[in-house]
Amino acid sequence: MTTVPEHGYTRQVKVKPNYETIAWQWMRYSAVLLIPLVWFHVLLQDVIVGVHRIDLDYVQLRWATLGWRVYDVLLLGFTFAHGMNGLRQVLNDYIHNEKPRRVVAWVLLLGWAVITAIGGIAIIAGVRK
Amino acid sequence: MKITLKIYRYNTEDGKPPHYDTFVVPDAEENDLVLDLLECVRGYQDGTLSFRRSCAHGICGSDAMRINGRNYLACKVLVKDLGTDQITIEPILGLPVLKDLIVDMNPFYEHYRSVLPFFMCPDDPVADGKERIQTPEERERYDDTTKCILCACCTTSCPSFWADGRYVGPAAIVNAHRFIFDNRDCGAEDRLNILNEQMGVWRCRTAFNCTEACPRDINITKAIADVKKAITTGKIE
Repeated sequence: MTTVPEHGYTRQVKVKPNYETIAWQWMRYSAVLLIPLVWFHVLLQDVIVGVHRIDLDYVQLRWATLGWRVYDVLLLGFTFAHGMNGLRQVLNDYIHNEKPRRVVAWVLLLGWAVITAIGGIAIIAGVRK
Repeated sequence: MKITLKIYRYNTEDGKPPHYDTFVVPDAEENDLVLDLLECVRGYQDGTLSFRRSCAHGICGSDAMRINGRNYLACKVLVKDLGTDQITIEPILGLPVLKDLIVDMNPFYEHYRSVLPFFMCPDDPVADGKERIQTPEERERYDDTTKCILCACCTTSCPSFWADGRYVGPAAIVNAHRFIFDNRDCGAEDRLNILNEQMGVWRCRTAFNCTEACPRDINITKAIADVKKAITTGKIE
């Protein structure tokens, strides 16, 4: 209510970003990244290679390249974070008090971080040559 | 044609739990409004049946109700539109039922008031002392959201509102949009900051129920997306 409007369409406004804004943007941006990551994964594993030819030898061959290991860690991190944020939104429909909501949000964030870290370490550093 | 109406009944004073009563309207016509059928029941069969109505022409927005599982204004839906002779009528969801089809609209109006739905520009002197000039294109930007009649069909069809009644709801966002995108108004920042709260626009899950339910054909989900975009980009375009 401080500025006199300029005539015309575009006007600048200052809206302080908060946790909800960031979470909403994260859902959109992570979804945009997931489209190429997931579709290429599906195309490669299910169509080009074929599910019946995926065995330990194939995994060993794939993870022999650092690029594929980084790809898999990104796939894990983004899909899991996208899903956990979705789960938080669903739980928010059922949890009406602020304190339990915060606890759930932190538990989901920590759960995501721990599982992603374990998965990331296993994929990046756990491969035996 | 014979129409069977199954109507939700609830009266806090008689001590009975909510239940449905069935009424038969023997001589209905396919061009009759559902409101006509309700008036017929109230006038000739059960004078205690309670529902709101006023203009009966889709302008006042007082007769919003759930007809065969979908929100409509009873004065805008014809028998033939429903495609059946079995009609179930219930109060709109998410607001406390006071009696039969009448709900307490106060929570809805509180959400509406929370977004400051009025013109704000106290520091802007009008150049000629008469009017604030606006081009037709600038007016067109928010034309759609000026059509809202506050019937609550949208808000009470929203699953996010059913889950948590503290969500401001589509109707409040539509009415905020009407002023946010009016370039004569100075309160856009205040409204956007209010809608940026946890119970603001981010509770919208883009279910499109509101757009489907709106008797004024307002593109509500698009209006909500406009507000989300203004918040995230800091630009009103």
